[in-house]
Amino acid sequence: MRITNNMLINNVMLHLSNNLTRTLKYQNQLASGKKISVPSDDPIVASKALKLRTDVAEIKQYQKNTDDATSWMEITEATMNQINEVVQRFREITVQAANGTNTTEDMQKICFEAKELKSQLIQLANTTYAGRYLFSGYKTDKPLLDEDGNFNINISNNEEIRFEIGIGDDINVNVPGSDLFNRGTDGEKGEKCSFVQTFDTIISAIESGDNEKVSSLLSDLDAEMDNLLRVRAGLGARMNRVELTDNRLDDDYVNFTKLMSQNEDVDIAETIMNLYNEMSVYQASLATSSKVIQQSLVDYLS
Amino acid sequence: MGSSSAFLGMEIALRGLYASQRGMVTVSHNVDNTNTPGYSRQVINQKAARPMLVAGRAGMLGMGSEVVSVDRMRDTYLDEKYWSEAQYYGEWSVKSTIIIELEAIFNEPSESGFSTIISDFYSSLQQLSTDPTSLATRNAVKEKGIAVAKYFNSVAAHFDQLQEDLNNMVYAKVEEINSIADQIRTLNLQIYNYEVMGNTANDLRDQRSYLVDRLSQLINCSAYEVETGLTLPNGTPEKRFVVVISGKTLVDHQNVVHLKCVTREEKLNNEDLNNLYEVVWEDGNTLDVKSGELKGYLDMRDGNDGIAAANGQGYTPNCKGIPYYQRKLNEFVQVFARTFNEGIIDSDGDGKLDKVNGHADGYRLSSSETDEPSGVRFFTMLDDEGNYMSSDDFINYIKQKAQMAGIEDDPDTDYDEQLVYGYSLLTAKNFCISAEINADPVENISASSVPGQQGNNENLASLLDMRHNTYMFMEGSGEDFIKTLISSMGVDGQQYSVYYDIQEGIMKQLDNRRQSISGVSLNEEMVNLIKYRQVYAAAARMIQTYAEVLDIMINRLGL
Repeated sequence: MRITNNMLINNVMLHLSNNLTRTLKYQNQLASGKKISVPSDDPIVASKALKLRTDVAEIKQYQKNTDDATSWMEITEATMNQINEVVQRFREITVQAANGTNTTEDMQKICFEAKELKSQLIQLANTTYAGRYLFSGYKTDKPLLDEDGNFNINISNNEEIRFEIGIGDDINVNVPGSDLFNRGTDGEKGEKCSFVQTFDTIISAIESGDNEKVSSLLSDLDAEMDNLLRVRAGLGARMNRVELTDNRLDDDYVNFTKLMSQNEDVDIAETIMNLYNEMSVYQASLATSSKVIQQSLVDYLS
Repeated sequence: MGSSSAFLGMEIALRGLYASQRGMVTVSHNVDNTNTPGYSRQVINQKAARPMLVAGRAGMLGMGSEVVSVDRMRDTYLDEKYWSEAQYYGEWSVKSTIIIELEAIFNEPSESGFSTIISDFYSSLQQLSTDPTSLATRNAVKEKGIAVAKYFNSVAAHFDQLQEDLNNMVYAKVEEINSIADQIRTLNLQIYNYEVMGNTANDLRDQRSYLVDRLSQLINCSAYEVETGLTLPNGTPEKRFVVVISGKTLVDHQNVVHLKCVTREEKLNNEDLNNLYEVVWEDGNTLDVKSGELKGYLDMRDGNDGIAAANGQGYTPNCKGIPYYQRKLNEFVQVFARTFNEGIIDSDGDGKLDKVNGHADGYRLSSSETDEPSGVRFFTMLDDEGNYMSSDDFINYIKQKAQMAGIEDDPDTDYDEQLVYGYSLLTAKNFCISAEINADPVENISASSVPGQQGNNENLASLLDMRHNTYMFMEGSGEDFIKTLISSMGVDGQQYSVYYDIQEGIMKQLDNRRQSISGVSLNEEMVNLIKYRQVYAAAARMIQTYAEVLDIMINRLGL
């Protein structure tokens, strides 16, 4: 084949430009840390990258949701713990009142403390978390009980606030007031809740000094305590589940970010090797090209 | 030998001088044009001169050498091959460049593309579902909603801009084709005039071939010389140069039919800008562009995956161009907004639409127990002045359009057909949040499924459920739809650049073959130079020798 000057030059240009294109590719990869910059660099990697980004963003949001769920439930649990203390104390003084040896003065003192405990119970029923009433079901803007212990709102056990903590996986974070304060039956507005009603009946028995009646009412109080225990146990179980989910989400987050990195991040060592390789090829072609295209017979004619 | 032979010898030697001089001039011309694009090297066609019949003796007397012509070294087969490949090179070079622009508009994968923006929107809704009364989160949901709408607005606006640019490129390419046609015509006349007397217009022919090189990248064309059947005064048949595009002549010797851009009266695609150019022949015939850069620009400007044209005339180009991506984005916002606002979605995968709770079915934050559902649409469209439409205006508008289109509500379904039709009026361009959400997101974001319950997040839960509804589109959920769109664009982009690389390889290879025949080799020219110089020196030496012979004959012989 006849080789002409422009063929030499064209070929040199073609190969130098191919070398530079590859060098640029590795240089881009190293500078951005990513294997691809546009989908056409590698459509498979690109579509995986989009999917993994969404997954990671979702996991992050679910982590936030589980955190929120945990705080809400911890506050509820702490409040129920206080309610438990109130009821324990109430039971102690009720037992005391049931004892026939109390003087009128003692009974008055007991009665006074019992009333204090009742209003404490009502206060606890209206506990708020970040401005939202814990036990008011969906009506988080309204207190559950009025000052006498009557329901301030209609409340149903169905008013479960659910947070999504995974795709298609949600958890009930609240305890509707009807479940805790009305032994699991729905409450009508204006109706007295059973918990306070029990307190009231005992307080009036103490007021009347009828210690036998007081004694007989202890079982009612125990029923309220059992109910409290049931609700706490239920919440505890759900808290456990949230904790498990939270741990799983932490693992998922690590796994998915790792996958994302494997999918789209460059292997630095490999890329640097490739870059050096390309650069030496580039230098070799520069060196040979400069020799080949410089010289012709013209240089040797005198 | 007769007495004239000494002079005859000198004449023959003179011819040698002339011939080698001519050779050196040609070397010089070749060397000068080593880097001239399209140039083909020239060689002298040297022959022994017509011999003289010597009277009374046997044989013929050699009369030296003469240059009968200067020829250009060119293989027309390679030219034709080059021209037929250049059209694909032109087409793929345009397409592989434009699709990179499309990819840049989508801006994926990145931290600011669609997947991030839609994830942020859903995250804000999730956040709201953990505290539906939070004013800050309600405002955040509005802002994230605006970001979603703006993303589509911005992508659509960029697509419009790009379509406009491509339209201008179509115009520019048509101008270039016409200009090349005119230049070829001028060259045709010049070449004809030179060659009518039997010369060969080498350099002009090079220029003409070079113009066809360029033209064949712009549009599918073939170029050749045809014999007219007439004979030139020098006895050779008369030839005329013809350039043909899709079977119709662009240049026929001295006649040119230009191409022309006329603005379309009816849009080819619903998504198109107004007044795009249609390329036709100046004489009114329709032009069939099969390949070349022009085809690349037309396909990317008009391509809608080969669906039927909106103006009812044939089909759109079978290529995923701007209208295709606009159409897909429009489809997304239509289904997304309909689902989100109205809850009209195929929820069970039976291929029929169902009605679940949408945003409009929820209740306002401060609703009282006797209130009706809010009826607030989260997303609506921009009105003619570019303002956010309110939900009522939007619903009235689309229902009115549905009525005009003759759509009636089918009582057997639990959704309103007029609404379903109406959402097809949404586009990525006019998609926005509603005036209510914009004015008062705190009150109007309808998170609750029961009136008077501020802490109720069940309507939000219904909206969040739709995110993972895989029956939303044929491609799956909303995000799957966009991901599919983007990755199929990536596949196309990869293919285009592979086609381009292949075509570029073919072109380089063909060009090298042409260079091998037509290119100037300096070594060769130098060798020729030495060759001619030595002959020149030898011929001069001959003349000197004859001079001596004559000197002897004239001055020393005789008396």
